[in-house]
Amino acid sequence: MAILDDPDRTAPVPLATGRLGMRLLLASLGMLFAACVSGLLYVRSIAKVWPPEGMPSLPTGLWMSTVILLVSSATVQWAVSAARHDERPGIRHGLLATFVLGVAFLVSQTVNWFVLVAAAFTPKVNLYAFTYYLLTGLHALHVLGGLVPVGVVTARAFRGDYSAARHSGVEYVAMYWHFLDVVWVVLFIVLYLAG
Amino acid sequence: MADKGTAASLVTGNALAGDNYLNHTKGLRSWLFTLDHKRIGVMYLVSILASFLLGGIFALLMRTSLLSPTKHIVSADTYNQMFTLHGAIMIFLFIIPGIPAALGNIVLPLMLGAKDVAFPRLNLASYYCWVAGAIFSLLSIVLGAVDTGWTFYTPYSTTTNTSVVAMTFGALILGFSSIFTGLNFIVTIHKLRPKGMGWFRMPLFVWGLYGTAIIQVLATPVLGITLLLLIVERTLGVGIFDPALGGDPVLYQHFFWFYSHPAVYIMILPAMGVISETVSVFSRKHIFGYKAIAFSSIAIAAISFLVWGHHMFVSGQSNLAGMIFSFLTFLVAIPSAIKVFNWVATMYKGAIRLDTPMLYVMSFLFLFGIGGLTGLFLGSLAVDVHLHDTYFVVAHFHYVMFGGTVIAFLGGLHYWWPKFTGRMYDEAWGRIAAVLVFVGFNATFFSQFVMGSKGMPRRYYNYLPEYQIYHQISTIGSFVMGIGFIIIAVYLIRSLIAGKPAPANPWGGATLEWQTTSPPPHDNFALSPEAGDPYDLEAFRWDAAVGGYVKKSDAAVAVG
Repeated sequence: MAILDDPDRTAPVPLATGRLGMRLLLASLGMLFAACVSGLLYVRSIAKVWPPEGMPSLPTGLWMSTVILLVSSATVQWAVSAARHDERPGIRHGLLATFVLGVAFLVSQTVNWFVLVAAAFTPKVNLYAFTYYLLTGLHALHVLGGLVPVGVVTARAFRGDYSAARHSGVEYVAMYWHFLDVVWVVLFIVLYLAG
Repeated sequence: MADKGTAASLVTGNALAGDNYLNHTKGLRSWLFTLDHKRIGVMYLVSILASFLLGGIFALLMRTSLLSPTKHIVSADTYNQMFTLHGAIMIFLFIIPGIPAALGNIVLPLMLGAKDVAFPRLNLASYYCWVAGAIFSLLSIVLGAVDTGWTFYTPYSTTTNTSVVAMTFGALILGFSSIFTGLNFIVTIHKLRPKGMGWFRMPLFVWGLYGTAIIQVLATPVLGITLLLLIVERTLGVGIFDPALGGDPVLYQHFFWFYSHPAVYIMILPAMGVISETVSVFSRKHIFGYKAIAFSSIAIAAISFLVWGHHMFVSGQSNLAGMIFSFLTFLVAIPSAIKVFNWVATMYKGAIRLDTPMLYVMSFLFLFGIGGLTGLFLGSLAVDVHLHDTYFVVAHFHYVMFGGTVIAFLGGLHYWWPKFTGRMYDEAWGRIAAVLVFVGFNATFFSQFVMGSKGMPRRYYNYLPEYQIYHQISTIGSFVMGIGFIIIAVYLIRSLIAGKPAPANPWGGATLEWQTTSPPPHDNFALSPEAGDPYDLEAFRWDAAVGGYVKKSDAAVAVG
């Protein structure tokens, strides 16, 4: 197949090059979330009462989500350090655990949404509700998007593709995953602890 | 044939008859799925020029309609849609990707002596994001052309029944294209510089692209979320810009300009880079104040994030905020002025050659000077209250965006044309067109400064008869520019067929792209070149046998 048939240009880039690219991507995404959080803080600053009266309190299940995601950050780091030391089982288990915890996080978040919707707290009620769904939804979408590469990398780990010399995919996925974790902690503080 | 071609390329550096990136592989698919930065750059170039044509047609229709204060060739609604489309197409489809994604893509790896950008597949993805974004944006013309102006201000944009969603969704996708290009360029500049090229041996065009790329990566996502929120507000009827829910439409303006003001520097920084390259080469003199120009690019990029509020002096932000933004706006004039000073100092006592690219350099200095200085008028709070939303503003940003960016784009296009096409264009027609564009531009927009300061509001369909003379001068000027552009299109296209084969180094530039053949081979360089001082023009001399410039040291070897 002639499509994209240009070996020099499709060869994997050196790890340092890929990591720089990843850092820039994360900086870009960081600006996305920073803008959202600024928007929330602005809306909150001009509101007379926050949260508006009669709003149900946010579900304690958010604690659950937070713990799950923090643990998944640890498991992905476990996979990275296993890869750097060429410990193949550690790569597999660390990645698989991360994938499962990622799914668990999304399940937990969905449950949190359902709990709120059941309490008649829908995005259309007011901006307090809207910004909650916007921020958690945007973050969940990024987790969902992250599960795709995590899944691919996990499958490749089970095929035995990674070694200490060649495991850049694991490194990139871990960078992204830690980023999701940091963003979530910020959102958790802004929405829940300081809400 | 191939042997002959190789022999010829050894003498003149022209590779049209031999293997080059244009004929390396054949067929439409080899272009559509190429990973070669030069081909991607050429595809970008063709695409953005088509957008420029479309945006230009809307502009000419508007100007024609404004010939008379009350009689029109289009209806009032169509007029609103036209200025929206003109603005949106020119900004999102043409100027923002214009210099970085088209010229930058073609030239950046060559300037670095590299084979390609750091992520060739991402580069192609960026192009297809552009295509997808363009399709959605233009789809809005069929679905009900947007009439909000290119800024999509709420609450009008959330209530008008035109297809704001299609247009803004298109702009959102274009944002991805811009981020991918920026990310790719930053990594390329960090990781793929050749031996001998420290940060202060980089060509200044590369510095310009670097500053631009930082803004693309950090500011574009803010536009993304803004447009997304706008789309959500339109489709779900709930959003943070809706005052009925406790939101604030002014927040939209903050978000929008947080991207769109830095975006002005996405447009101008690479343009300034083009000027830095060409002013030195056509003055046959080393660039003056290299580090000052390089650092001022980064200073402009940094300050650009802090001036967005100057678009909102009359939008109800606090007096204190207005004063701070006014101050920061004045601040950004300093690095810009440093650059202009250094360009003029480069020309001082140089052996100036008035070739087409140099005519554009001189146009740029003059027009950007006016555009920049009138920015100071608008940055002053009290003066801005009088001039806000008048033709003065329209004239100001056209002096910067057209007089600055488009003129520099044309200069760069002519400068690198022989390199990436392998053909010379007709120099005489080039000069005539450059002069026509300059004259037409000033007639079009200087008259707008005058009528704006007399109180003619922008975007008006009908106007008072006392402004008619200025509108007529403006319209005639736009026709002159139109003729200039037709001439440019004709001689450039003609050069592709009948142009004289270009030597490797027709202008005597010292940057690395002139050290490979015209057009370059698929992999750019036979041997990775070593970089020296990018402005050491003394090292090159004209060689009549070659019809271009050669390195003095190489010539000595050949003679020996």
